[in-house]
Amino acid sequence: MTSLIRALSSTIGKKLLMGITGLALCGFLVVHLSGNLLLYVGAEQYDAYAHALHSQTILLPIAETGLFLLLILHIALGVITARENWAARDVRYEKKKSKVVETTSKGAPNVASKWMFLTGIIVLMFLLVHLGHFKLGVISPGDPDATEFANAARILSQGFTQLVYLAGTLVLGFHLLHGFQSAFQSLGINHPKYTKGIKIFGFIFAVTIALGFASFPVLGLMGYFSGNTGSPPAAESVEAPPAETPPG
Amino acid sequence: MSELNLTLKVWRQAAHDAEGEFKTYRLNGVSTEMSFLEMLDVLNEQLIAENEEPVAFDHDCREGICGMCSLMINGQAHGPDNETTTCQLHMRRFRDGDTIVIEPWRARAFPVVRDLVVDRSALDRVIAAGGYVSVNCGSAQDANALPVPKQDADKAMDAAACIGCGACVAACKNASAMLFVGAKVSQMALLPQGKPERTARVLNMVARMDAEGFGACTNTAECEAACPAAISLSNIARLNREYFKAVLTSPR
Repeated sequence: MTSLIRALSSTIGKKLLMGITGLALCGFLVVHLSGNLLLYVGAEQYDAYAHALHSQTILLPIAETGLFLLLILHIALGVITARENWAARDVRYEKKKSKVVETTSKGAPNVASKWMFLTGIIVLMFLLVHLGHFKLGVISPGDPDATEFANAARILSQGFTQLVYLAGTLVLGFHLLHGFQSAFQSLGINHPKYTKGIKIFGFIFAVTIALGFASFPVLGLMGYFSGNTGSPPAAESVEAPPAETPPG
Repeated sequence: MSELNLTLKVWRQAAHDAEGEFKTYRLNGVSTEMSFLEMLDVLNEQLIAENEEPVAFDHDCREGICGMCSLMINGQAHGPDNETTTCQLHMRRFRDGDTIVIEPWRARAFPVVRDLVVDRSALDRVIAAGGYVSVNCGSAQDANALPVPKQDADKAMDAAACIGCGACVAACKNASAMLFVGAKVSQMALLPQGKPERTARVLNMVARMDAEGFGACTNTAECEAACPAAISLSNIARLNREYFKAVLTSPR
């Protein structure tokens, strides 16, 4: 057991744990996005989902505790490795230029990899705001009797909040752009047959998660929740206006 | 053949514990057919003629195989070319009037000895921790007496191409030695001669790597791009696999 702890606290071990916790958190993002997409379906369905989730008095606290532990571990390891990595280069270069060719499949999107700590911190700050809104209800608390949909509609209709949510979700996507495929390399999964597929899937995953979550503040920006009545606007108003006839 | 007039911004540091600084030198009439190190030789001739201390830099074979030369040239390890050591970099890669910034490898594990020379013995200590096979091999045995699949032999040979120059450490934002250690662990792990000590080897080498103060791997692939011997990132993945396997199965 002590040898296992010693091994997991080595540079390689810490990156293994970063990878595992990161991928597990990716799994949570999928579930979270799936649930949130019910905002598109309708207030009743969204409220029914929220009610079903919150009525899990045993499973929900267990899942939330697990999620919290994953998150804490991921953040703590991120901070520890970032500190060690900074210390590993005590004198900075006067000039530094990448030799990675961005267009090659080998080089893939390597820009995101240089900013993992910063993007991680930004995502954490966004997460704290998000929890303050929806979990703890300490930031702009609303009517306690309002439905979950009405609450979400109210928060997502606030101008500044929309910008924070938009920025937070897009930065999350940027973090995932490197994080998803990097986790596999840290786990030792690098194979001529699969690595390219993992990288492509990671790219699609990051873009899907970012655009999926970013669509909610965009909905708010576009006035989807205006009215703030707890139900989406009538179907006909959501429909696109008839296509304009081409000029001439 | 054409000639270049260059401005060189070179890191000068009299000793390990001395304060260092950049000094700017003008160097005229540099032949485009010179190697980068020959250009530095010419600079040193000029400095000696002016009664100044010549710039100290590491070099040995000057044919790209010994791993002795280093240098961060305009922010790139071994300069702008791929799969090229500084000694094999030629001045035709530069333009007349260029300013070239020349720095030593920067890493806590590679202390500056003088000017552009750094102490890379941390890599030697990682090797000493397990990067060898401790059986007496005797004289060369019959070919194919020990069957090795061609694919494995090729991968081991590719990993063994590492010349230990430290460019991977220099180019990494974390000053990580994972590509070096990955190559050195891989070349043994892939071959039957390396199998008996496989577990202890990877555990000891990684422990030494961490103790020397190298950073962790963020998988940015900068090392792979900077490597003059084209060592692949797949060696880092193999190092990770070897390490996990060893952790789970080692008796201690």
